[in-house]
Amino acid sequence: MIRLKNVSKTYPGNIVGLQNVNLHIRPGEFVSVVGQSGTGKTTLVKLLISEERPTSGQIVIGGWDISSVRSSEVPLLRRQIGVVFQDFKLLPKKTVYENVAFALEVAGVRSSRIRAIVPQALKIVGLTDKADRFPRQVSGGEQQRVVIARSLVHRPKIIVADEPTGNLDSINTWEIIDLLRRINGFGTTVMLVTHNREVVNSLQRRVITIDRGLVVSDVEEGKYVL
Amino acid sequence: MKLSFPMRIVRFGVQDFFRNFWLSAATVSVLTLTVISINALVLMNVLGKIAVTVVESKIDASVHFRQDVDESRVKTVRVALLSLPEVKEVEYVPPEEALQRFRNANGEGSELVESLEEIEGNPFGATLVIRAHDTSGYAAVMHTLNQPLFAGLIEEKDFSDYDAMVSRLNAITGKLEVFLLAVTCAFGAIALMIVMNAVRVSVYTHREEISIMRLVGASNWFIRGPFYVEAFIWTLLSVGMTVLILFPSLAFAQPFLQRFFGSGSVDLVSFYAVNLLPLVGLQAAGVAFMTLVTTKLATARYLRV
Repeated sequence: MIRLKNVSKTYPGNIVGLQNVNLHIRPGEFVSVVGQSGTGKTTLVKLLISEERPTSGQIVIGGWDISSVRSSEVPLLRRQIGVVFQDFKLLPKKTVYENVAFALEVAGVRSSRIRAIVPQALKIVGLTDKADRFPRQVSGGEQQRVVIARSLVHRPKIIVADEPTGNLDSINTWEIIDLLRRINGFGTTVMLVTHNREVVNSLQRRVITIDRGLVVSDVEEGKYVL
Repeated sequence: MKLSFPMRIVRFGVQDFFRNFWLSAATVSVLTLTVISINALVLMNVLGKIAVTVVESKIDASVHFRQDVDESRVKTVRVALLSLPEVKEVEYVPPEEALQRFRNANGEGSELVESLEEIEGNPFGATLVIRAHDTSGYAAVMHTLNQPLFAGLIEEKDFSDYDAMVSRLNAITGKLEVFLLAVTCAFGAIALMIVMNAVRVSVYTHREEISIMRLVGASNWFIRGPFYVEAFIWTLLSVGMTVLILFPSLAFAQPFLQRFFGSGSVDLVSFYAVNLLPLVGLQAAGVAFMTLVTTKLATARYLRV
């Protein structure tokens, strides 16, 4: 599903983001990526959604080499990867429903299709009854669930969640992790980037540890070992 | 591509226009000023041509013959002048009519007319009033009249320096046109900067929305499109405002211009009404080209899609 071959990313000023990373994530896997702040986890996410280009190496997603993807192809790539961020990135002046629908509107999906898909996505994340509320009228956990619903509407094969529980209390954290697990259960590959030791340990899934831009460990049913 | 896709781009563009209402208003105002100054340039051109035509139509040259020159010889000169291609018409004024015209021009009872009474009899000879097709034609008339055959018959020639007058008029309108062109260019440059800045502010205002659009896979066209729609709305409004301002202004100025140039010689309202479509169409196309190109530059620079 995702394959990185000798991928390096160096920022101006010779700042190393990633060094010679080799990874293979299979379809349907649930992978946690851990590491301290500034070690290259977010660089990895940015490379996967083509927000950054690798300095060297090759990134292949679903057979598509995105290492030198054209800017006109980036939107197509992003519709195939659902992205969830710590800071939600919701539009405050749109309701929960409208925020989820927005992802389909900008992709040119017909209104009748939008009316069919959005309620399904809201049902999966358990927000059907809060569809008409604005982001400020729902809790942090619910806001993150809106983001997950939004990331699901294109039926992506991969979901990349970058610190999705970073702003949440423990109850909401577990709700989000459960939701990601359920989504993974549907066959969607999930890459969870996190600092949360408890979450990683409880998942008992593959753990990739990054330190100073290098993959220092990659263990099936691993633990948070930093 | 579905029909709803372009409609959504239009909807987002209209929303952007109203969300940045005051910025939009400022942009439309400057664009309107630019279009008005372009129209002033067009009007100046039209008025300049009318002024030259009016002045040229009033130009004539009078040749006063000696009293002892009989009518048949004057008419020979008239035929000679009419044979010149530069001459449009030659009017023969007999001595009696010349006297009457003098009386009419100076008013009965005036000192000049009274002094004529004392002379007793008609001091005027016959007169030829010559009109050329244009002011440059009077040189040929002068040349003919200066021939020895005719020169001895003539008492006086009244050739005002009409060429200089027309040249001065052309110079004034020419300078005015250059001035208006400079004003138009200045407004155009200001409009370009305002449009550029308006797009920049609009990008800044929508930075959150744009980043989310990118994140969820909006195409580059979908992100750029609303800015073009906004630029198109600015164009339509500025040209529309110009038409709304121009027609009442022309109707207001019309009586003054007609008094100045002579009634019937100037009808700018009709000129605009007849040429409305090509004039407005050309200006709208010009402003649209300017705003759309500027928007393309601004989005390329600030939007980074």
